[in-house]
Amino acid sequence: MKGMALIEGPWWSLELLPRLPQRMVEGILSLLGLPDGLVHFTGLLVAAGTVTGVFLGLFALLSLIERKVLARIQNRIGPNRAGWFGILQPVADGIKMLTKEDIVPAKAEWFLHLLAPVMIVLPSILALSVIPIGREWTPVSLELGLLLFFAVGALTELSVFIAGWASGSKFPMLGALRAIAQMVSYELPLILSALGVVMVTGSLSLPDIVRHQGDWHLGFIPAWNLFTPWGLVGGIVFFIAAIAEANRCPFDLPEGESEIVAGHMTEYSGFKYALFFIGEYLGLFAISSLGVTLFLGGWQAPLPWLGFIPSWCWFFGKLALVIFLFLWIRGTYPRVRIDQLMRFAWFCLIPIALLTLPAAALWHYTGRGWLGWLVSLPLFFVPWLILTMVFNKRLAGTRRTYRFAES
Amino acid sequence: MIPVLILSATILAAAAGAVWLARPVHAALLLALTLALNAVLYLVLGAHFVGLVQFMVYVGAVAVLIVFSLMITRTTDEVAEVAGRRGRFLLGLICALPVMAVLSAMRMGAGPVSIGPSPSGPSLKETGQTLFTSHAPAVLAVAVLLTAVMIGAALLAREDKPEPGKPE
Repeated sequence: MKGMALIEGPWWSLELLPRLPQRMVEGILSLLGLPDGLVHFTGLLVAAGTVTGVFLGLFALLSLIERKVLARIQNRIGPNRAGWFGILQPVADGIKMLTKEDIVPAKAEWFLHLLAPVMIVLPSILALSVIPIGREWTPVSLELGLLLFFAVGALTELSVFIAGWASGSKFPMLGALRAIAQMVSYELPLILSALGVVMVTGSLSLPDIVRHQGDWHLGFIPAWNLFTPWGLVGGIVFFIAAIAEANRCPFDLPEGESEIVAGHMTEYSGFKYALFFIGEYLGLFAISSLGVTLFLGGWQAPLPWLGFIPSWCWFFGKLALVIFLFLWIRGTYPRVRIDQLMRFAWFCLIPIALLTLPAAALWHYTGRGWLGWLVSLPLFFVPWLILTMVFNKRLAGTRRTYRFAES
Repeated sequence: MIPVLILSATILAAAAGAVWLARPVHAALLLALTLALNAVLYLVLGAHFVGLVQFMVYVGAVAVLIVFSLMITRTTDEVAEVAGRRGRFLLGLICALPVMAVLSAMRMGAGPVSIGPSPSGPSLKETGQTLFTSHAPAVLAVAVLLTAVMIGAALLAREDKPEPGKPE
């Protein structure tokens, strides 16, 4: 019975619900008298399965909700044939994807062509594993969780390249070129805006970052990083960069249908295409979860007297809110041009993201209160004014020319 | 011990493939694999910070830079021609031997070490403090170098202004 020490808290506790599968398997295995190492290892596998399962389920749900929300925005009805309110639509989509023919182009390298869709799902799942989902549940609690999150992101870029190159076709190559240029450019503001949080918290561990946001101002305003001058600006920059990293509209140039078919996914069909789709949505979940963790207080309740609701409910609630914002933006804004995209990253987002670092330092050294707001206001306002003036001056009166389309 | 040995063998195989394969894209991808496996080796040995930074910098930046430059250039034919040249093995050996000699000499001077995960590596705070106090000059030198590179890249990438009177 030595393994029973692994279990803490009653099994019916809602707070511990996400860990129930892991604890059940660990409990059964230790009752059978297996060695502790094996029990722990199996428990970790079950935990990994739980994370993957939960987010894959959310993906299926989101693929329906997205179509419903977009339909509502565009004054349509949306999918409503498969089941009640179209609830079986994800199942129908899945069966369609599974039964489609798998096409490998004659000029493609079959091994790399196969490797890319498999590889693209990996980083998102790895990244989701370090996110603190509830007070009692961080799948993998690492001292360097944030670093791991950004490090595994590198795999996405490589797999997009492999997909584009191994297809042996023009459009995938162009799409991959665009996608990598975009990801590399928008990774900078993403990481820079997260750095302010690391500076103030003094830790790269995501559970620590969430715990650090557990206070209340005036007894009812949560001390989330979003409600600080640098956090507000950093959070907005993070959100915009996250849209670009997740290849969502209005930054979905790598797969802009009207320009380059489907980008690096052009030569994929059947379940390989579905894997790209899954990878993209898991990436969206991962980056939104990180945003929630860094700026919106993770699993912390928004009001002090709401603490009785299990913490993971708050996490998923905030995640749903952020994802709804993504959908809303997709339904509202048109796609930008590639030069606008690049200019926006390098001339606008990166300078502002850099400014959050001195602002975070100032806020810290002025006692983390209203004085910090007072100091930060000119710090952000003056460069913003200058940037706006420069842009307006450069754009005013210039006729838009199409260098390669005309002549 | 055994994971380290398996990893080392895989790293060597990937590195050899990166050198020997004729197509530049394959070589670049195997190089990326080599660098990524190196990061895994650091992680297995307990150097978490170095491992993750290795992954972030070498796989996320260096390998991506290499494949990106492969994408926007068309080097396949030239490289295949160079790869087919005779005597390249000898030339490579001559270039590699001094490096190997220096590395072996360093290894000999270091004395015996045990392979395997260290019980407790330095914490993140300790690493940071060492980096920004005793190694501050090196960090600053790298910062200056990178700034120079950034300025140079910005200068190179600047759009040439069209000459007055000439249509674009």
